[in-house]
Amino acid sequence: MISRRKLGLLAIAVASAAALAVAAGALGGASAASCGDVVLNENSWVGSSANVYVLKVVLEEKLDCNVKVANITENQPSFQAMADGKIDVVLEDWDNTLTPSNQRYVKNGSVVNVGGNGITGVIGWYIPRYLLKQYPQFKTWKGLKGKESVFKSPESGSQGMFLGGDPSYVQKDRKLIEGLGLDLKHVVAGAEPAQVARWSTLYKQKKPVLFYWYDPQYLNAQYDLVRVTLPKRFNGCNDDEKTNAAAKTYACEYPSYGLDKLVSGEFSKSGSPALAVVKRFSWSAADQNTVANMIAGKKMKPQDAAEAWVKANAAKVAAWTK
Amino acid sequence: MSAVVEVPVAAPVASRVPWWKGRLVRVAVIAAVLVVVKAVWAGDFPWPGWIAWEALSPHLDRFQTWLIDERTAGDAGFVFDVFNGFRSFLDWLVEHLNSLLRWITWPGLLAAGTLIVWRFGGVKAAGVVLAMFGSFAALGFWSESVETLALMLAAVALSLVVGIPLGVAAGRSRRVDAALRPLLDAAQIVPAFAYLMPVTLLFSIGYAAGVVVTMVYAIPPTIRITALGIRRVPVNTVEAAESLGATRRQVLGKVQLPLARGMVMLGVNQTILFALSMVVIAGMIGGGGIGAVVYVGITRDPALALLAGVAIVAMAMALDRVTQAIAERADPAKRRDADETRARRRLRNAAVALAVGATVVVAKILGASGAYPLEAGARETSVSLQDWLLGRLNGALSYIQDPTTFLFHVLNPTATFVLQKLVLPLQSLLVEAPWFATLAALTLIAFVVSGLRPAIATFVAMSVIGVAGVWAKAMDTFSQVLVATLFAVVIGVVLGVAASESRAVALVLRPVNDVLQTLPQLIYLVPFVFLLNVSLVPGIVAGVLYAFPAVVRLVERGLRDVAPQAVQAAASFGATRRQVLFKVRIPQAGDAIMLGVNQGIIMVLAVVVIGGLVGSSGLGYDVAQGLVRGNFGEGVIASLGILSLGIALDRVTQGSRRGVGKRQDD
Repeated sequence: MISRRKLGLLAIAVASAAALAVAAGALGGASAASCGDVVLNENSWVGSSANVYVLKVVLEEKLDCNVKVANITENQPSFQAMADGKIDVVLEDWDNTLTPSNQRYVKNGSVVNVGGNGITGVIGWYIPRYLLKQYPQFKTWKGLKGKESVFKSPESGSQGMFLGGDPSYVQKDRKLIEGLGLDLKHVVAGAEPAQVARWSTLYKQKKPVLFYWYDPQYLNAQYDLVRVTLPKRFNGCNDDEKTNAAAKTYACEYPSYGLDKLVSGEFSKSGSPALAVVKRFSWSAADQNTVANMIAGKKMKPQDAAEAWVKANAAKVAAWTK
Repeated sequence: MSAVVEVPVAAPVASRVPWWKGRLVRVAVIAAVLVVVKAVWAGDFPWPGWIAWEALSPHLDRFQTWLIDERTAGDAGFVFDVFNGFRSFLDWLVEHLNSLLRWITWPGLLAAGTLIVWRFGGVKAAGVVLAMFGSFAALGFWSESVETLALMLAAVALSLVVGIPLGVAAGRSRRVDAALRPLLDAAQIVPAFAYLMPVTLLFSIGYAAGVVVTMVYAIPPTIRITALGIRRVPVNTVEAAESLGATRRQVLGKVQLPLARGMVMLGVNQTILFALSMVVIAGMIGGGGIGAVVYVGITRDPALALLAGVAIVAMAMALDRVTQAIAERADPAKRRDADETRARRRLRNAAVALAVGATVVVAKILGASGAYPLEAGARETSVSLQDWLLGRLNGALSYIQDPTTFLFHVLNPTATFVLQKLVLPLQSLLVEAPWFATLAALTLIAFVVSGLRPAIATFVAMSVIGVAGVWAKAMDTFSQVLVATLFAVVIGVVLGVAASESRAVALVLRPVNDVLQTLPQLIYLVPFVFLLNVSLVPGIVAGVLYAFPAVVRLVERGLRDVAPQAVQAAASFGATRRQVLFKVRIPQAGDAIMLGVNQGIIMVLAVVVIGGLVGSSGLGYDVAQGLVRGNFGEGVIASLGILSLGIALDRVTQGSRRGVGKRQDD
């Protein structure tokens, strides 16, 4: 036996630890200002870090809030986390509010949409511009038909490769390929950095590549990419891969996304001064790209990048905090 | 890390023909038949829709929406009150442990860790702790590491609270043991990735979910090793105590537990290591700390993920050494301070407590913070070590991605070759072969290799996969697992043989194996996803790296354990060293090699499904999608598929070891 004496010691240690912890909790609570704690959720793409850290700096400097950053994945997990009060604010939601399971959270008030963040998101199929020289027909999806093998890769056999997006992102490409009747194989390289590594390596070799991509994205300034035109949206056009509808119904381009800010039901009722700032927070894709490029391109700490931007854009910040 | 628990290896059997010899041939014949059948009916017989339960996924989705409604409703039912209560308790525990560790300030934590370990584990162990804290500070992950320590403290403590009593019960009662065994087996076979979905659903996201996931993984080794420790207490000692009129409780408290103390501490050691291997997985569902850094790093800044991985390795290796040192001191046989008087020991405890207390007070007065100061500020003027290291790592990562380099021209053709000549053909064989042929072939192989009952289990598990509607995806995963296992076993056997023949090789291999088995599984993927410009292969390479050390260890031990009489006999007949190796040792060590295959395949499965997170196709991808895109039904079904595949693969490769192992245990 781990002798009785040691057990006694252990018990004393645990008891005193608990007492200290309670004391620490009380001390921590007392020091917070009127704004209190705000938890912002940072998603995996860099634009989201730009949003979150700029708002963090503003809330800390102007309102003296105690801002924490959480990293919970998009969609269901972050909706669940808002319902449970683990996070207060999501600053860039790509229409996840529309899927049936997430609608539950919106309907029962545990997640509240507080308007757009000023940016319109675009998702689509992209190719490098240099490809258009040899294959001008690739401007639209019809030009891809019959030419799929141009995009051949080691894993796609005789088909062409379609390089899918980060598995955690909004997408419907498998169904879209099927619906358009293209001879493409959907290949996933991995999370965003891995997908970028894959297509940018091909880009550097000036080889053909067709891939899932989106805008605003800071890399779009570094690489000259072209969006392939997909069929226009029609009535009943389907974007949710989950509903096992006929492939034809998916054969339309992605919608343009008004990127929304979401807050938890609890936070929306808290009367926190931070809520007003969150509601007013809105900026342009160019602003976001500036900060995103400092973070991912120049490898600055998100906090430092945000501080630099806030310092240089006092007028824009003032509009949020007035 | 799961292979650290040593499963008893079968004693060499004295038969002339090794049992596996004829079986290899039979397995090859079955595989050949499958290849021929596939060539004839490629793609003609996918798993038929009428045996698949297609309504399962929508049912599960409805169940999820029901759960959401119930959980977020104002008046949650009794069941949710229990879950929510437990969840709040866990959240509370971790939060307060974390704030306590921060409250005592960084010098206080440093003093507490070092001095307490010095008191119970000796100077060397204290040095290791110091080095660990030093690496947290140097790498710039102090706060995150402290948060992870808090999470681990809670998870390990609760695992021991649950595990040790169960282990004692299993050690004393055959019936409890028999009841627990299948549960423990399943917990070791199922990749942790598969039970993320249910856990997040019941415990939401946060510390609580992290603790629960860690506990599920860390409790089994505690139970197993404690039970083994109790059972190993010599029967005559127990009988002697009983004959002196000791009650059952007295026997346990005064004889069995004290004598098993060393094993119990080994159990603590294994529990900590198992728990640490879950840090990243816990970080994915809100466990925070250094695991979250790795997870965020993978999606955004791979260099950060690698650096954070180093901190986890530092933590794991330090805690491993420390608990080993403490275990050694606790071992009654080696107890050094046995004659130390009670008063003296009390004095030393008091001195340590006083010193820690004094450090905390002084640090508080001086205004030290909870985190190591380099993190808190002063960053603008000087470049921290972390920034510098990140810069180097980023440089290395962009070098390996540069298509003009030499490395690129070696690695990418190799990866492409593996993909096109091994992975894709095997994938097409398993996915396109008629389902009944594959099912029959696997069942037959299980029968040939392992016997009737494992064959039945294999048949049932594979049928479950089909009925759940994920046959093709499971075959896809299976093909990746097979390729990785093949490499892991070949590398493992070659290195294992080398290590058993040469002490130098063994010495070099040990630290390499240690590091490879301590790294969280997800970390392996990072460099290879960037290094190899094809999909699937990174996951396979990661699986190989994770699994081969276990094979090396088992093969090395198997070869060393070959009965010395047999070796001497052969040598006395004039056999050369080489003849002894190939004619005596390797054939006799067949069981150990088979065990290596068995452990290797399960470890590979764990990594290959995690590959789904970075895009490897198959069941892992569905789980990842379920987790992050809310495809709940599909995610749960894929988890079920992984569970079934794990059981089937274990049964197919288990050989006849279970029977032998049991005889040795009892």
